[in-house]
Amino acid sequence: MIVKDAVCPFCGCLCDDIEVEVEGGRVVAVTNACELGTTKFMGEKRMKNPILRDGNQWKEITCDEAVRYAADMLLDAERPLLYGWSGTHGEAQCVGVHMAELVRGVIDNTSSVCHGPSILAIQEVGHPGCTLGVVKNRADLVIYWGSNPIDAHPRHLSRYTRYAEGFFLENAFRDRKVIVVDVRRTETAEIADEFVQIKPGGDYAVLSALRAIVQGKTETIPRTVAGVTREQLVRVANLCKSAKFGAVYFGLGLTMTRGKYKNIRNAIELVSELSRHTKFTISAMRGHYNVYGSNEVNTWMTGYPFGIDFSRGIAFYNPGETTAVDILARKECDAALIVGSDPAAHFPRRCLEHLSEIPVVQLDPYPNATTAFCNVQIPVAVTGIDAEGTAYRMDGVPIRTRKVLSSDYLSDREVLLQMYTLMQEAKGQ
Amino acid sequence: MKVTLVMKPATKSFIPIEAESIVPKNFLAGTDLSVWRGNRELRLDEVFSISVEGDADRVEDVEVVLSGDTSRLKRVGEYMDGGKITILGGIGMHCGNFMSDGTIEVHGNADGWLGREMAGGTIICRGDAADYCASGYRGGRKGMTGGTVEVFGRAGDFLAESIAAGTVIVHGDAGDMAGAEMHGGTLVVHGNCSRPAANMKSGSCYVFGTAQGMLPTFRKVGTIQHEGRTLIQFTGDIANRGKGNLFVKDYKYLD
Repeated sequence: MIVKDAVCPFCGCLCDDIEVEVEGGRVVAVTNACELGTTKFMGEKRMKNPILRDGNQWKEITCDEAVRYAADMLLDAERPLLYGWSGTHGEAQCVGVHMAELVRGVIDNTSSVCHGPSILAIQEVGHPGCTLGVVKNRADLVIYWGSNPIDAHPRHLSRYTRYAEGFFLENAFRDRKVIVVDVRRTETAEIADEFVQIKPGGDYAVLSALRAIVQGKTETIPRTVAGVTREQLVRVANLCKSAKFGAVYFGLGLTMTRGKYKNIRNAIELVSELSRHTKFTISAMRGHYNVYGSNEVNTWMTGYPFGIDFSRGIAFYNPGETTAVDILARKECDAALIVGSDPAAHFPRRCLEHLSEIPVVQLDPYPNATTAFCNVQIPVAVTGIDAEGTAYRMDGVPIRTRKVLSSDYLSDREVLLQMYTLMQEAKGQ
Repeated sequence: MKVTLVMKPATKSFIPIEAESIVPKNFLAGTDLSVWRGNRELRLDEVFSISVEGDADRVEDVEVVLSGDTSRLKRVGEYMDGGKITILGGIGMHCGNFMSDGTIEVHGNADGWLGREMAGGTIICRGDAADYCASGYRGGRKGMTGGTVEVFGRAGDFLAESIAAGTVIVHGDAGDMAGAEMHGGTLVVHGNCSRPAANMKSGSCYVFGTAQGMLPTFRKVGTIQHEGRTLIQFTGDIANRGKGNLFVKDYKYLD
């Protein structure tokens, strides 16, 4: 059986033109997806049953036992952390927020270690953004700043920028210019019309300098700024000002380097400055396929996009205090539920030391680095493969992912709903 | 009246305690107060050994003294409007949030957001202050709007972020982006710091040491004499059409 127009549940591009061939209850071929998406669709070695740590061994348990363990763990905790959420569908994320509120815990998603700073900047100065379709059809200048889509979002270039056709561009490949700004010459830099190499930690200074140059205050700028010559900065500013429609896409090279959200604020203010001369937009290259969705769900349910502390019964938000890395590093939680992410693969050692000291339950289809820190792991269906649900593309467009095959696994939402029901009963609701 | 609160050892000592009830005004009515450890509400006497000496009718006559391991005690002195709080050790996050009057003295180190969005009064920190000392809140346009914060040790990153009025003095070094987005008030760093006054609109920032990673968008005006020191005067941040004053003893661009 061939399933057409499947949605790839890997990165924030959410490519929705994938063809998946299914035979004997497994995916045997994938067309149109990039290497990353193909690997996810073809993924094997999934965990079969829930497991419970029993001394130095794993013991298989039933799903009901695993769900009961998780519910009791969360109910007993004084400050439970519910973390992850970017690798699951919006409907499961909704249940997660309800659970966090019921047990008065802290709910955080992976944006606190990726584009959280982008959201902080947007909260300060707004977001002049647009959909990917607008960029594809209109942009004659695209800037990738601190992002390397050839590696991380392989089809971004072919679907929306460098290699894409544009409705309002006569010859998109010729007419559309690409600028790459990075600390090293990446593969994406090789296909750029202009490459700006910045010294590590110098993004903020370069953005400030560009803002001043766009305002016509070039004379104040030193001869070089973070390794970039003033002549190149003037050339880039002129390229931007002469574009009919410019789009900036930034990645973790900007959000997770020195200055963090101030880098993004500066980039947004550069875009605002450029929009006095022409049309310019800016957007984040979101990583997990539904990290944007976790921000959306959290925001409409709590008012805040990530790092929400319900300890006092109302939502409190303060990244740096209520975010997972900070809470774990400071040993400020006494239980953790991990859904749709793998913190052990990404978090600092100090955080993992605390994870190893508290009870941890994980919902994930595969054994991963976090498995080693779990007391219980519950395998679930993969959204976009054997479960369906809503995900948000990197530009904020909600897309319904499809189920391409059936399996016996419960979805994240189904497992979480079971936990939530037990917790409600315990709370007498 | 002197209220002494001695922190009892806790079994779950790593979970922070939110204690915004610890402000001098509240003790005029007694010590029947509560604090929160995670999602559990606790009576004040479950967390502290309490002793009260004398009595008072006015908040100005109330002094609260905290001792023991208070480094994870958050929000002490929040909305404080008079009296004095003395913390003999370190203090957790958000000490003195929104305070409008009175004095807080911290003998140890202060954790993040010391004096966040304060409007008046005085905070003295004898040790180091962590990130966001005397700063604003996420997404807020105005940080500190009055009062004085004086840190005798070092300060972390984003010191006095978005300061609109008041005075912040740090006797040691400060971290990255001291005075970011400042649009009023005075910031003085006796030591070194990096990228001071980023995106400033107005106000005055003094760095008596070296400004590392000096931003390229400050225009050099000349030199001035200030309290016996020769300082280089800049104006900016021109990227933000700012007209603030940045005075540094020395500076280095990231060129």
